[in-house]
Amino acid sequence: MNRMLHHLPVEAYTSQDWFDREQRQIFSNTWRYAGFMEDVSEPGQYISVQAGLNNIFIVMGRDRRLRAFHNICRHRGTQLIRAVGKAQKALTCPYHDWTYDLEGNLISVPEEDREFQGIDKSCLGLKPASVDIWKSMLFVHPDPNAGSIMDWFGDIDMQVGPHVPEELPEYEEAQISYEIKANWKIIVENYIDVYHLAHLHSGTLQMYDHANAEYGFVGPHYMFWEPPVAEYADNQDKKLPAPRVIPNDQDGAWVPMLFPGIGLGAAEDGWNIFIIEPIAPDLTRVTNRSRVANASAWEFSKQSMRSTGFWSNFGLSGKYEGNDAQSEDDPMASGDFTAEDIYACEQQQKSLYSPHYEVGPAAKGESPVLDHQKVVLSWLEGSK
Amino acid sequence: MSRDFFPLTVLDTKDEIGGLAKTVMFDVPEDLAEKFAWRAGQHLSLRVQLKEGEVRRSYSISSSPVSGDPLRITVKRVNDGLVSNYINDNVAKGDVIDVMPPFGGFCLDTAQNFRRTHYFFGAGSGITPLFSMLHSVMCNEPHSVAYLAYGNKNAESILFKDALSKISDDFGRRVGVKHVLSAPSMWSGFKYWRKGIVDEGAIKALIEEHPPYAQDAQYYVCGPGGMNKAVKVALMSLDVPQDRIHMENYGGADEIDDTVKGIKATAEITLNGEQQNVSIGAGQTVLEAVRLAGLRPPFSCQSGVCGACRANLTVGTVHMRARMALEDNDIKKGRVLTCQSVPTSEALSISYDG
Repeated sequence: MNRMLHHLPVEAYTSQDWFDREQRQIFSNTWRYAGFMEDVSEPGQYISVQAGLNNIFIVMGRDRRLRAFHNICRHRGTQLIRAVGKAQKALTCPYHDWTYDLEGNLISVPEEDREFQGIDKSCLGLKPASVDIWKSMLFVHPDPNAGSIMDWFGDIDMQVGPHVPEELPEYEEAQISYEIKANWKIIVENYIDVYHLAHLHSGTLQMYDHANAEYGFVGPHYMFWEPPVAEYADNQDKKLPAPRVIPNDQDGAWVPMLFPGIGLGAAEDGWNIFIIEPIAPDLTRVTNRSRVANASAWEFSKQSMRSTGFWSNFGLSGKYEGNDAQSEDDPMASGDFTAEDIYACEQQQKSLYSPHYEVGPAAKGESPVLDHQKVVLSWLEGSK
Repeated sequence: MSRDFFPLTVLDTKDEIGGLAKTVMFDVPEDLAEKFAWRAGQHLSLRVQLKEGEVRRSYSISSSPVSGDPLRITVKRVNDGLVSNYINDNVAKGDVIDVMPPFGGFCLDTAQNFRRTHYFFGAGSGITPLFSMLHSVMCNEPHSVAYLAYGNKNAESILFKDALSKISDDFGRRVGVKHVLSAPSMWSGFKYWRKGIVDEGAIKALIEEHPPYAQDAQYYVCGPGGMNKAVKVALMSLDVPQDRIHMENYGGADEIDDTVKGIKATAEITLNGEQQNVSIGAGQTVLEAVRLAGLRPPFSCQSGVCGACRANLTVGTVHMRARMALEDNDIKKGRVLTCQSVPTSEALSISYDG
């Protein structure tokens, strides 16, 4: 009998075949995160991003509008540009020096007359893709006629928090990218599992009231909000570790997971992204970036100092302490909720290979896990 | 689309910019509502009887079709302008005026899910269609943003100054209204953005200050004289693709190409399902010949701006002296403006139907 993880077979988390189908049908077929708007902010500047099976680059024109193209030279298919850079007016493929302008038109072919018997350059422009900005993030879609990005995010635009990320500067020191040895869906499921918050993170996320969380799916996207506990909410401006970024009359943590694998984590004092990118069936890259209040270093240190008293009493602590900790860098003793999550995900992935693996009943707070599996299934339907 | 005239009652009027312009609002009865439904950017043709005879003029609709405002035009006095001065001096609440249903291809259609950055470049009374467009975007495209660079002589000559400032207040983050004044008064406390005109410098500054956030950027231009061409050249020098630039000339045609003199020709004219052969004299326009032959084709501005007289050319060739009302695509499909067309081949076939 097929071993299942609720709605999906265990192979969905371990096999190359499932991975390939997801790459083709989900990650090459939806809007993909490509960076922050600041990453391409001057004419000529470009970045490239892997979006499922497609490598797409974004370049800003002199009209300050972004263009996106498939990063494939129309001659032999070599990647035209590398990860990041700035072009003046043209993009040249390193292989045979075919050159395109920033509109994607092929403008020059070396030794055109000698090497080719007539070549219609107008038919050999770069293939366009779609690009847009939403909530200060760049998004690309491999289809040039993908339509409005609001067809994808419009329904949840007002539900992911009152933050205006466009007005919050990036806290660049928080930029980090790391690999987790687990399938991407394990990481998503961990992110949207409400049941685990009070347990795995009993010493790291207890400033929020998990019992009063409001959550559920809107289309393919998962929404989540929870209020601060009374102790944290009361006189909160003295307790926030960093200056406030949302109006005084609003508080809580907004932690949605947009499909596929686009996590946001926003609270009273910051706005963060958690981008999940599958690399292999059992390997996933996560990228975190943060935005904070547009305030001076002095204001940050002032806020940090005035909140120290609260945090030293309230206390963040590791799940395991003292003799239970294996070593000094045991993630379960770190007091860092991300380290705790990575630990849980990697341990779960390992168990999937055991012939004795069998999933237990799902709790109410795990209903989003089951719902996400259904969303994945619906995107793969008809593929096999 | 109907190209007949219908009598509409004037709901109300309002003097603008110290009596130099007048807004005329129309009451559209229930049974004409569908015929008079308009798209932001379109215009109305009015037919009035003056002592000089019957005259027709087109004026852009200045109200938004999605704001709940009544159908209205705003007419600025033109020096020695027959109709504009007549309207400003005489038209009052309760008057009945013959009006042709809205038309025109310079349009901005909005939708709730669209997410675009709209740049508007206007001057003087060129604001009228742009105001309708801008207001529509605010009302009906909650995810879109819009910026307007609006050129005038001084603070006193700015049409819709208060309405624009209300839009800025109401829609804050989503809109930027930038006044460009060529001769600002030293005593006026009015805060404007730049001194000068809406030229390349202003365009570059606007886009630099407000780069497109929504990447579906669209550019709309409506000004008098050579402004449109200058704005288009400036936008294209920034690599704005031509298909994103939308424009309408205002205050008369600025590029009349009368280098080609029409030849004598015979045209088979289809109008209201009936066919008739019409002789066209050398130098005569198709519209002139068709009217002289006793037919009653639709027409209005007779300057190539409004598009009321458009028809399909299926046989032969013509030269158009002006063609503002047509997009390149229309022309490819054989659309012609009969008021601007002179024959360049001896046999033509032209249909006003469809």
